[in-house]
Amino acid sequence: MASLEQKRTTRAILVGIILITVAAAVIVVSLNTGTIRLSPSSIWRTLLGGGSFDEQLILFEYRMPRIIITLLAGIGLGISGAVLQGVSRNSLADPGILGIHAGAALGLIMFVSFFRNMEGPTALLIPMFTFAGGAVISILIFMLAYDRFKGMIPIRLILVGIAVEAGVSALTLFLSLRLDEDTYSFAARWLAGSVWGREWVNVWALLPWIVLLVPIVYLRSRSLDLFALGDETAAGVGSHVTRNRVIMLALAVALSCASVSMAGGIGFIGLIAPHIARRLAGPQHRHFLPIAALIGLVILVTADTVGRSIFQPNAIPAGVVVAAIGGPYFLYLLLSTKPNSRRNS
Amino acid sequence: MMKRMLTTLVTLMIVGALAACGQSTTPNGASSSTNTPTNAASEAPESSSDVITHDANAKIASMSIHITNNLLALGIKPAGSVVGGDVKDFLPHVADQLEGVSKLGVVTDPDMESVLALKPDVIYIDEVYTGDDLAKFEKIAPTISIDMDNGTWRDHLNRIAQHVGKEKEAEAFIKDYEEKAERVKGLISAELGQDAKVMAIRMTAKELRVMGMKRPVGPIMFEDLALNPAVGVEKITDEPYAVISQEVLPDFDADAIFVIISKGNEAKANFDELEKNLVWKNLKAVKNKHVYVLDGQKWLDYSSIGHSMALDDAEQLFTK
Repeated sequence: MASLEQKRTTRAILVGIILITVAAAVIVVSLNTGTIRLSPSSIWRTLLGGGSFDEQLILFEYRMPRIIITLLAGIGLGISGAVLQGVSRNSLADPGILGIHAGAALGLIMFVSFFRNMEGPTALLIPMFTFAGGAVISILIFMLAYDRFKGMIPIRLILVGIAVEAGVSALTLFLSLRLDEDTYSFAARWLAGSVWGREWVNVWALLPWIVLLVPIVYLRSRSLDLFALGDETAAGVGSHVTRNRVIMLALAVALSCASVSMAGGIGFIGLIAPHIARRLAGPQHRHFLPIAALIGLVILVTADTVGRSIFQPNAIPAGVVVAAIGGPYFLYLLLSTKPNSRRNS
Repeated sequence: MMKRMLTTLVTLMIVGALAACGQSTTPNGASSSTNTPTNAASEAPESSSDVITHDANAKIASMSIHITNNLLALGIKPAGSVVGGDVKDFLPHVADQLEGVSKLGVVTDPDMESVLALKPDVIYIDEVYTGDDLAKFEKIAPTISIDMDNGTWRDHLNRIAQHVGKEKEAEAFIKDYEEKAERVKGLISAELGQDAKVMAIRMTAKELRVMGMKRPVGPIMFEDLALNPAVGVEKITDEPYAVISQEVLPDFDADAIFVIISKGNEAKANFDELEKNLVWKNLKAVKNKHVYVLDGQKWLDYSSIGHSMALDDAEQLFTK
């Protein structure tokens, strides 16, 4: 038993190291990509404080904030998806599918309807609004999925989520049609998952959420492992099943809402990242959570880089790129999932 | 224990957000103070309130399609310009004059790296869209911010002419325009009669609009060409247009109808559909064959060159 545990830890660390290298490579390539080509060496020089004024402008003002946002949002979405899958004991859970993003979108649309202006300090309020929207919708979903005798029923959570999402999306669409054309085109791009936050102020708006919440999730990852045992067993070993479930769900909602507020409504990362991570690092959450975060990061940074470079001059929203890969993967999972399996593998 | 942790967490997050708020309200923003080893101070010595004048041959980056068009009217070809948000390219009616000009993104989402790569001598921005980003542009080159919502296109043209030292050309352009307007006015009244009431409609992919008294179409039709608005058109003053249903078309009682069809097959199909409609066929203007399909882009472009081209379009329609 101990040796298996040790093997898994070693494996997770190994995978982690490889992924960090991949992530670093992706970030460098992304920093490299843009209208103006910068060689890796000049990027390195600029990062170390050298470089011409133009190079500094490009790197620190134009590219860096955006990349940091995609990186943070990728982590947030990856972790959020992993938590949701753990909590719901369903490998098809994802903040997008569960309707949390739809709630966040509703929050954003309400925000734009009130404040209009997306510039400056008000940008910091956007995560609050998307979180509020996501939280309200989540509470609604949880209440509908809650059974007085059995507590939260995982499968009902997903089904209710899908239903609520449809309703909320309709409401969002209705509200967005009443916006003026400029605001509408912003909202439309946001809904398609276009990384719009490109300033440092957007980074500061997102950073605290990720930096504070991710470690908390990690520290509580044991409760996720217990969910996998089934509610009765988990309760039997002394876990407050429903309370833990609510706390973890709240954390997942906060992470995903903060992420999408800056990166746009990007789905599927929360679905794919934990999956791949579980294959690579095994079912223990403390092993695969960091891996899921790294994979989320790599996917989103890659998607955004591809979206903004390959289809020049018309950039494609990162969400579309992710969906183009994520959609088929989702179908593959759906079709290959045998009843009663996939819980742990 | 859990509760305490959550409370702490929420407090921390709010404090964090507030701290960030406070930071970003300082003039330079959190951005430049933390992560940019900047020497921008020497780069942007001029403030936007002074009138910056520069050589007409300077390398200009125009961050507004309307500013670009006003520059073209003065005979100046910018080195780079944003493109139209709808067509994702230069506006079709001026595209031939902008050959070889760098594309700098869309006005709402300018491609800063292309602007930088262009190494312009001077940048023009529209205060309405990009005014908040003035500091970002000033890091690249001296930037002139023009409020394109304030004043008519004549004012915009004159203001831009001041910056490039082409006041005379602007004057000549406007004079030329007024003469042309007078001429076209004569042509139209010869065709329709003095008291004819007209309306302009625009068919888009999803709706039928009546253009009102405001920009872009109102001023040229009802002021420059001094046409009489059809019944009800004069009430559309809050918005550039009003969305109507086809049934109310007869209520406008227009003697002549100008039609703008949005680009795309759907809008075209919608208009073909409308032409088959009995309501349409029974309109006074249709029966008398006073329906004129305009070259829409020119009429919708509220700029000196757009308006001038619109007059040419009208002149052509009424010279037969």
